[in-house]
Amino acid sequence: MVRLITHNLLACHVKGCTSNNFPLQLQNVQIELREADFNPDFLKTFLPKLEWKALVDSAKELGDTSLPLEQPEMLDDEFLKNLHHVLLEIHIEEGNMICPNCKHSYPISNGIPNMLLAEHEIG
Amino acid sequence: MAPSVISTIISDNALKYEDTHVHSIYEQIAPHFSSTRYKACSQLTHCQPWPVIAAFLSNLPSGWVGLDSGTGNGKYLPLPYENPSRVWTIGLDRSSNLLKIARNAGGVYREVIRADVLDHPWRKGSFDYAISIATIHHLATYERRKQAVQRLLQAVSPSHGRILIYVWAIEQDELSKREIPTAYTSIDEEEQPGRDVFVPWVLSSNSRTEAQIFNRYYHMFAKGELTQLVSMAAKEMGLHVGEKTENAGSRRGIEIRMDGWERSNYYVELRCWTS
Repeated sequence: MVRLITHNLLACHVKGCTSNNFPLQLQNVQIELREADFNPDFLKTFLPKLEWKALVDSAKELGDTSLPLEQPEMLDDEFLKNLHHVLLEIHIEEGNMICPNCKHSYPISNGIPNMLLAEHEIG
Repeated sequence: MAPSVISTIISDNALKYEDTHVHSIYEQIAPHFSSTRYKACSQLTHCQPWPVIAAFLSNLPSGWVGLDSGTGNGKYLPLPYENPSRVWTIGLDRSSNLLKIARNAGGVYREVIRADVLDHPWRKGSFDYAISIATIHHLATYERRKQAVQRLLQAVSPSHGRILIYVWAIEQDELSKREIPTAYTSIDEEEQPGRDVFVPWVLSSNSRTEAQIFNRYYHMFAKGELTQLVSMAAKEMGLHVGEKTENAGSRRGIEIRMDGWERSNYYVELRCWTS
């Protein structure tokens, strides 16, 4: 499966593509919503490691606008529940992830992103 | 009689060699491979993995995110059993058929991606921990095994990242039925004390078909070879190998916390540090 928790860590790795290679843009996606166990402690620790703007923008590409543009200082329950939903409950089943720099397209099929490159593209 | 382990010599193109003798085999044996792994589990109350791996994953701070490089059927993704939502492990493998099993490992949706262990499709240093269990021994040259270690070092945080690596040992325990050929097959014995071998996987037959034998490639590690490999990989990246030093100037390093042998495997656990 690929959810935004994983997408927020992925970057393009085509040979020579080392800047502006994140976040991968989501295109032609099909999503499924599935409930996941809510763990506020996990979210609080993980939060500082997120690239926040990338998360907010990618959530928008998936039609979710529940997250604020800036990370709030007070982590109330409503915010954590929204964050939980965006990170862990939206499953991207099909679609493409496009590098903003080199435009390489990584396909997602049956919930599994294929990050393999052709031999000449490997850095 | 069970087919035995035999020596092999790596062809010039290591990538093609791995394609033939590792990747395509796992694609074909994936469901059978996975069922034997889970069968072993069902005899215990919980699927108890090896103690060192279980302890490593149980002792991670809450909220950490990690990479399982070469996740196979994803059997380590559900850990730690006693508190599975404390940490989040993302699986990476080259075999799409194994990933189809891994994405539901333990009956829960898992995060998995398809890539080579020598790829680096991540923001640098974005993981808190990484594990590589029974994977690096499938890479066919010293350079590629070293590169695989370097990918793990790049994937985790330079200041607090933790890494655990397991590979097959030449020294097998008495429970193992395998006999390892004694002749060294490496061209350069001094640099590569391990042995390059084929280990047969028998896909059992039914009434109409004959049993199929797949010879998977392994580099079986000699004593001390894994720790040496990790040290070389780190030094090449400019990392200090040893305990954290508070000398003037900022440094990056790795500390080898543990290394040893457990049930036919060598393992090494390391932690990254910055000063």
